[in-house]
Amino acid sequence: MKPLFRLFAAVFAAAFALMYLASYLNTSEGYTGENTLTVYNWGDYIDPELLTKFEEETGIKVIYQTFDSNEAMMTKISQGGTTFDVAVPSEYALSKMKDEGLLLPIDPVRLPNLKHINPRFLDLSFDPGNKYSVPYFWGTVGIIFNPDLLEEGKTFTSWNDLWDEKLENQILLVDGAREVMGMGLNSLGYSLNDRDEAHLQEAKAKLDTLTPNVKAIVGDEIKMLLANEEAAVGVVWSGDASEIMDENDKLDYVVPEEGSNLWFDNMVIPKTAHNIEGAHAFINFMLDPEVAAQNAEYVGYSTPNESAMEFLPEEISGDKRFYPDPELTEKLEVYENLGKRMLSHYNELFLEFKMHRK
Amino acid sequence: MKTRWKVSNLYLIAVFVILYAPILYLAYYSFNSGGSMHEFEGFTLEHYAEVFQDTRLLIIVLNTLVIALLSSALATIIGVAGALFIHRVRRHTTKQTLLTLNNVLIVSPDVVIGASFLILFTIAGIKLGFTSVLLSHIAFSVPIVVLMVLPKLQEMSPTLVDAAEDLGATRWDVLTKVVLPFIRPGIFAGFFMALTYSLDDFAVTFFVTGNGYATLAVEIYSRARQGVSLSINALSTLIFLFTLLLVLGYYAVNRRGAAKAKTLAEGVRP
Repeated sequence: MKPLFRLFAAVFAAAFALMYLASYLNTSEGYTGENTLTVYNWGDYIDPELLTKFEEETGIKVIYQTFDSNEAMMTKISQGGTTFDVAVPSEYALSKMKDEGLLLPIDPVRLPNLKHINPRFLDLSFDPGNKYSVPYFWGTVGIIFNPDLLEEGKTFTSWNDLWDEKLENQILLVDGAREVMGMGLNSLGYSLNDRDEAHLQEAKAKLDTLTPNVKAIVGDEIKMLLANEEAAVGVVWSGDASEIMDENDKLDYVVPEEGSNLWFDNMVIPKTAHNIEGAHAFINFMLDPEVAAQNAEYVGYSTPNESAMEFLPEEISGDKRFYPDPELTEKLEVYENLGKRMLSHYNELFLEFKMHRK
Repeated sequence: MKTRWKVSNLYLIAVFVILYAPILYLAYYSFNSGGSMHEFEGFTLEHYAEVFQDTRLLIIVLNTLVIALLSSALATIIGVAGALFIHRVRRHTTKQTLLTLNNVLIVSPDVVIGASFLILFTIAGIKLGFTSVLLSHIAFSVPIVVLMVLPKLQEMSPTLVDAAEDLGATRWDVLTKVVLPFIRPGIFAGFFMALTYSLDDFAVTFFVTGNGYATLAVEIYSRARQGVSLSINALSTLIFLFTLLLVLGYYAVNRRGAAKAKTLAEGVRP
């Protein structure tokens, strides 16, 4: 009995000592005070220095939490029990959250820095009038390729370049119905939100002819596979592309000339927010051109902040792969909400493509 | 004969290499002055310094340890009581049912447990954070403790209790002076298992964290999305050393206990 008792006494003593230490650190860092703000963002999606800067400027202490998928974030917010003041969903998640009434409207009067956002990135179909959201980062879907594994001088300018017979068993695709179907539609010159049955069938038939070139259709591991040179070509989001290129600088990224998808991650205020004043202050702070530039440099994604461009080094702001020319950006399209039926039709066609034999 | 010895040894070495290589690889790069896990540029301790400067990360480490210690201790107390109760049940079918219910909790997927806790806590109005994480960790550790303690109870000869009672021991005396000392190795094993389970757990914790409260597993997972920074390597190395110490400590305690039991047994025997 005695050794057992001693062990448990020691365990409890240690636990309470550690707990005291944690709460001491919490208080000394100001995490327990009244004036706090809980931010829920993707992992490693902000320059940590900016959080300190924001705290110094406003005196509001930021409690920073991270998630790894839109679905996980939505579950947490819709279940309640937490008080997130700012969250950063992608655009499709944003429209879902909006429909489910999980968001509070944004007060533009409290966001003077909103004027710095490029108007091209405002008032888009997923949130008309930007009632609920402010864009945080944006990007495209395109082709990443490894010149070392391809024949000399091979480049990509068009989606149709993927159909080259020499690329047999060389291409990795992301496992997303909208992305792959969109690629098929774009390569034929149609919109990636096309609802015309004939166009969809045509795109599907065209995709089927791509199968000999497709090595695999994969999820998040596509980044690792490409960085490790397991395949020569991949169809990926530009955010992933910049990460892959950080890992392996031989690779290059291209947004095809026919156009492609334009995606967004957006700052929103969930319904569960407590510090609405602070949430606006935070969003406004992130919209500040210098802050946005510093953040874009740290994260490596494209900022929608027009005024931030001049604070970015030339090698970033001049990079056509991530800040394409206006004539190309005109052709970029945001995914529209196709409705449940159309979406499941897309999924069905994508599934058929996946099952298509070489 | 000699070759067989060699082959089996080689096999063992191969298994250990496979098991430990990833950890050593990770630890090796935690000293890399380059920014990534690709090329080793030079030796540095800056990633370790980073870990100790990142107060938020330290708080998360402390949270993780507090949860692990408290939940495993409380789970052990509850689990031992549960095992004693199950052991006392006389009817075979009832006992089997209880055991099966216990085992189902062990094999059921963490995701399911996590999701049900999330729903339960939000319905019950418990704010997600320390309490919810602690409660769920206790809950998934209890069945493990029960499973570790029961075999020890079954090993114990019922005559031991009878003899104690014949000699005039009260129920409390029987429990504290006979039963508990006998099943002590099981209790320790249960406690340490619960401890490692709690340190490890990602799936359940993921659902029930909130309000700025996180444990290490959840934090590392969400950070890993954009590539694991080397400070995570450094931290993982530290945690690995810590668990190694725990295991060695457990081993030392056990050995001392075994040696003591041996001398005792030898002393009793004429």
